[in-house]
Amino acid sequence: MALLELKNVSKIYGDLKALNDVSISVEKGEWVAIMGPSGSGKSTMMNIIGCMDKPSVGEVLLDGVDISKEPQKVLTDIRREKIGLIFQQFHMVTYLTAVENVMVSQYYHSMPDEAEALEALDRVGLKERAKHLPGQLSGGEQQRVCVARALINHPELILADEPTGNLDETNENIVLDLFRQLHREGTTLIVVTHDPEVAEAAQRTIVLEHGRVAREIINENFEA
Amino acid sequence: MTKRRMFLRMITASLLRRRSRMLIALLSIAVGATILSGLVTIYIDVPRQMGAQFRSYGANMILLPKEGTHMTAESLQEVLGVIPEAEIVGASPYRYVRLDMPSRQQSFITAGTEFSQVQKTSPYFSVEGAYPEKTREVLVGKEIAETLGIKTGSSIELHYKTSGTAGQGQAADAAAGETLTGSAEGFNKVIVTADLVLDEEGKIASVSVDAASQTPGIGSLVGTDRQFLDQFIGKKLPLSLSNTASGEDAADEDHVVDAVTGATISSQAAVDAMNNAVLSGEAAPVERAEQFTVTGILSTGGEEEGYVYMSLPDLEKLTADNAVDVAELSVTADAEVLEEYCRAVSEANPDVTARLVKRVTRSEASVLGKLQALVFLVTVVVLLLTMICVSTTMLAVVSERRREIGLRKALGAADNSIRKEFLGEGLFLGGLGGLIGAALGFGFAQVVSVNVFGSSISFQPLLLPVTVLVSMVIAAVSCQMPIKRAVAIDPAIVLKGE
Repeated sequence: MALLELKNVSKIYGDLKALNDVSISVEKGEWVAIMGPSGSGKSTMMNIIGCMDKPSVGEVLLDGVDISKEPQKVLTDIRREKIGLIFQQFHMVTYLTAVENVMVSQYYHSMPDEAEALEALDRVGLKERAKHLPGQLSGGEQQRVCVARALINHPELILADEPTGNLDETNENIVLDLFRQLHREGTTLIVVTHDPEVAEAAQRTIVLEHGRVAREIINENFEA
Repeated sequence: MTKRRMFLRMITASLLRRRSRMLIALLSIAVGATILSGLVTIYIDVPRQMGAQFRSYGANMILLPKEGTHMTAESLQEVLGVIPEAEIVGASPYRYVRLDMPSRQQSFITAGTEFSQVQKTSPYFSVEGAYPEKTREVLVGKEIAETLGIKTGSSIELHYKTSGTAGQGQAADAAAGETLTGSAEGFNKVIVTADLVLDEEGKIASVSVDAASQTPGIGSLVGTDRQFLDQFIGKKLPLSLSNTASGEDAADEDHVVDAVTGATISSQAAVDAMNNAVLSGEAAPVERAEQFTVTGILSTGGEEEGYVYMSLPDLEKLTADNAVDVAELSVTADAEVLEEYCRAVSEANPDVTARLVKRVTRSEASVLGKLQALVFLVTVVVLLLTMICVSTTMLAVVSERRREIGLRKALGAADNSIRKEFLGEGLFLGGLGGLIGAALGFGFAQVVSVNVFGSSISFQPLLLPVTVLVSMVIAAVSCQMPIKRAVAIDPAIVLKGE
């Protein structure tokens, strides 16, 4: 069953068609990479999937709900309930500690639970750094905190925007290993990247060019 | 952990770990709150302070007995009961009597009063020497002192005399059956004397006149003419000669007699002598004297310099009564309240009239009004400036934290959550700033008060919560525009390397 389905989605800014009649489908538990050069429409697609933008034309079904028709308030609810976001530039609240940053996500979702947040940090190998402020953490550590934050509310879908773009190889591998773990647990992963190595870690890669799906590549070497 | 605790944790972390920016906002609120609480303290205290200042210009209320009635020290105390004791700065009773100083052939208006009160109601009185403290001590006006060469420590003798022209009422006081003797000037300013005896009803029982000094055969007849003398029997004092021309005689038969024909002046003298005879008895003029020590010379620049001041009990000993002619009050209240007190006084004792010294109460009200308006204006301006400053700082904070706000929204924060967080920070800053401001404001008001009014200020406990509350409201209002900006931030900004 498809968790996410884009049906003939277009996003038009004046004369520019950022997305042009795109139709894709992502199964529950699937790990999909979205690739493409700058201006290919990756970000636009990411915004639409992440419930932060609406398509000009077409339907977007997330868990059976057409999010293209919903008002902003409902989109915020859906994002909070169903989606875990990971960003290229980590984005932590600078004045909160690692564990507090994880708890912020809990706070908006339901109830802050420090023990659970610490558990999530333990899972990304940062339990000892829980009381550190972002400024005291390396980039890799920050991104791992962000992974912990994304998974704390057990979202249906983890949406990662260039998650390794600012990381060295060691940390990139750590993050990819975390993704593999999440995949094994059945989490649906959509990773936007222009790094072929990151894309190759996924089961399937959708390549965008000029706002259209250029091709889809199934990773035959995929190891769960 | 509850949501509320996390909320507080986020807010305090935001304020405590991002100190520099928040310090500016906090500082502006604290400064605003300082000025606010300081000025309001002064605003509240100014009437009291100014009241005290104005009280140095003298009494602002005067109590007088209604015509034909008397006021005494006791009735005065009773009447004062209607004015709150705390608001009465002083209340001076005055009794004015003319006393003679036979040694210098002078007489002065002498005021009996309470010196401890005078110092409060007339703080401008300047005394060279000291106010009297003991009995038989007086204060002498500068004018008298200079004219008579009286100095502090001098001893003066003062006499109290009734005028000796007391009315008919005293005739009844004369004992029945006693012979009364009187005299009066007759023709050529020669004295005529008369002896008379009154019965129990005050009627003349017998009379004899010695008019031998008058013109023989004419004036002297008033002492021998039986017809003239007999008509006095049964009449009452005072007597007067009939005046056939006026036609009023019949109206007062008891008191009117006919003159001896051709000897009107001598007849009048006989009548006057009889009238005077009554007064030379029990009701004769009274004179009491007392020796006083001058403790101080009073200068006021006004008519008081021509008076002698002594304690009310001392004067009472001389006059043998306890009347009070007027009372001067110094009350700390504004004109409206004073008017109310005036009404209350008249209600408490209908024989007493209370009046305001308009000159003092009006200028007091107008100066106070202007001062308070000024303070109010400055407060409003300062609050506006504070709001602008806080608003600007918070706008800077919002733009500085755009990413974070975008992130929070991306993580699922609803607009209301963002509003709540910024409002929470604003209120926290407002509360803390208000608290600091209330403390500093009191100090500020104290400094102003000591330097301007020369007296310390009283702490207004209510002002603390009010300042904190107002600061919080101001902070909340100032945060509205920044919050609007924050809510408008697009969560998509957190994506990519924007």
